[in-house]
Amino acid sequence: MAQYLPVLALLLLGSGFAAINLVVSKLVSPSRPTEEKLAPYECGIVPGREPPHRFPVRFYLIAMLFIIFDIEIVFLYPWAVANAGLGRFGLVAILIFSALVFESFIYLISKGALDWGTLQVNRRLSPMVNEDRTVESTVRKVGLVGRFEEVESLKDALIDGNAATDSVPEQDGAAA
Amino acid sequence: MMSLFAQVPVSTPEIQWFYLAPILILALGGVLLITLTSVAPVMRGRHISALFTVATGVLALAFLPFIAARLDGLVDPVAGQGGRPAVDLVSSALVVDHFTLWVSGLISVAVILVAVMLDGYLEREGFESPEWYALLLISASGGVILASAEDLIVTFLGLEILSIAVYVLAALHLRRSESQEAGFKYFILGALSSAIFLYGIAMVYGATGSTTLTGVAGSMTGRNAAGLSPAVDSSLVMVGIALMLIGFGFKVSAFPLHIWTPDVYQGSPTPIVGFMTSAVKVAAFGGMMRVFLVGFGGTFASDWRVLVLFMAGFTILFGSFLAIVQTNIKRTMAFSSIAHAGFMLVGLYAAASPVAIGDTGKRAVLFYLLAYTFMSIGTFAVISIVGKKGDGNHSIEAYRGLAKREPLLAMAFTVLLFGQVGAPFTAGFFAKFRVIAAAAQVERTEAYILAGVAMLGAAVGAYLYLRVVVAMFLDVQESPSTEMADSADETLALVEVRALEVPPATLAVVLLAAVVTLVLGIFPDIGSGALAEAALALVR
Repeated sequence: MAQYLPVLALLLLGSGFAAINLVVSKLVSPSRPTEEKLAPYECGIVPGREPPHRFPVRFYLIAMLFIIFDIEIVFLYPWAVANAGLGRFGLVAILIFSALVFESFIYLISKGALDWGTLQVNRRLSPMVNEDRTVESTVRKVGLVGRFEEVESLKDALIDGNAATDSVPEQDGAAA
Repeated sequence: MMSLFAQVPVSTPEIQWFYLAPILILALGGVLLITLTSVAPVMRGRHISALFTVATGVLALAFLPFIAARLDGLVDPVAGQGGRPAVDLVSSALVVDHFTLWVSGLISVAVILVAVMLDGYLEREGFESPEWYALLLISASGGVILASAEDLIVTFLGLEILSIAVYVLAALHLRRSESQEAGFKYFILGALSSAIFLYGIAMVYGATGSTTLTGVAGSMTGRNAAGLSPAVDSSLVMVGIALMLIGFGFKVSAFPLHIWTPDVYQGSPTPIVGFMTSAVKVAAFGGMMRVFLVGFGGTFASDWRVLVLFMAGFTILFGSFLAIVQTNIKRTMAFSSIAHAGFMLVGLYAAASPVAIGDTGKRAVLFYLLAYTFMSIGTFAVISIVGKKGDGNHSIEAYRGLAKREPLLAMAFTVLLFGQVGAPFTAGFFAKFRVIAAAAQVERTEAYILAGVAMLGAAVGAYLYLRVVVAMFLDVQESPSTEMADSADETLALVEVRALEVPPATLAVVLLAAVVTLVLGIFPDIGSGALAEAALALVR
């Protein structure tokens, strides 16, 4: 077991180094904490912007489609160059590979990766969400945008009562 | 310029498809399932995916006796296999011998049982996706590749195919954030351990100039294909061995690398945990035994044995003692599975000894894997049932009065838990006995200490299983939760009130596991012929 002695020594040295650093920085450095400094990922600047908004997760499927064919091409080129040398073995191997890649394409299509707009599979998600494509975007949103009845009634209210604009509910900004 | 394109025929390996049948059936089964459900919506009906998976598992299992027969019928066994029947496939990437068949059999059985239990689970949780089953099958095929790999690169390939599918499975309960957390933790830590494993392979390759196990073993004993003895840098080999031990140690959740286990098991969908404790563990131990006993079994066995000794002892102690303080049954069983891995490592320690004891050790580990596959799948099937809709009812308190409500389930669970304790007349007894006996046969001071530690761990571990058994047979106390339903515990009470639904298929899995546990405990020599052949296959 003597050959493990260097490992032990290194272990002690390593942990000693870390410990000394921690202790010294505790002793030497001035400590003037503020709330911002103690916040996670502190870098001295208070975040001034909200985090990015949601974007459709379907873009992920598009990326997967790209990757599938990208990978296939990456392997098809070397095979094509070396085809004559590899012979039937190479042909069978690349056919198996292509079949597997094509399989994932089929799977993605069945998951609706090419149905841009309305999702064809699992149409019914919740009564809150409209199944159809909305006027503003291809992204279905939970809330006012997809709910046509309310939007229509708001529009009616707008058209009917130009004089009675005051009666329009506050959220008409969201509908417009 | 023409010389660049002048093509020299490359010598391509001949593939003996028949011997590859288990891998091909499992992998293609998964791919076919996904394709069929994508193309034909009819295939997405209830139970169809589960039936398909069971059929695939049975088909893979059915091929094994034929492969075994053909192996035994080989007149001229491949040179260098010690006269044991074995076939090198795809230019020495894979080897099929009785060890491979044993591991393939266990993995196929695990796939079948988990698929049956998954069917009831998905129905209850309201998922209809075939992805679960497809990933299960693909992961299983990776497990078979891992256990039969003859080349370290293929070992790594098998390890990744096995693991990546399980990372996804762990996160597949979309409505539980714990499940996502488990998948993420498992993925991050698993990827790190894979990287370390790969680094180990690079070290070994750098030192020995070969990635095949026979090549590595040959260069260490001074023989290689060219008949020369390369100057093997022993320190480089030892670093490589240590790094690969870390990689495998993570997969089997051995001591310093075990801490992911409770978190991942707690969060993952319960049937998937059953798969992790059975198929993943079997495959990882299969790969570990093949790499370490065949590849590094010669000159360096006395070096890595020490590491395995310490790993085994601490794994048992940590697993047993930390399981006691848990209140969540899935965490308890996670620590218990850590302890079981420790016992198997004890067997591996013994297996690294010279021939006669080594065989006892190998047989002990293989029997342990057989027993633990059934016991753990049965246990997690019960936990899956008791978990109720939402898979969150996992406190040990939830088992109170189970014997009164579901007598059959409680009886079977008692048998399974006693099996894990290692009580006589159960498979667990012989599993633990054989492992400890093998360690005692090594006849060294540290081996005796290890055997003592293992016995201590078994005794301590008994407490944690018996705690659950006692809870089951206690009456339901005048539970305060039903009384104060309008207080803060309202949701808890609602969970309490919801009756336990026991899918018949899952109950069948539990009963089968309990019966196997008993049968193997009363007739432990069933299948000992196959066991002995599987153990002997690893001699080089």
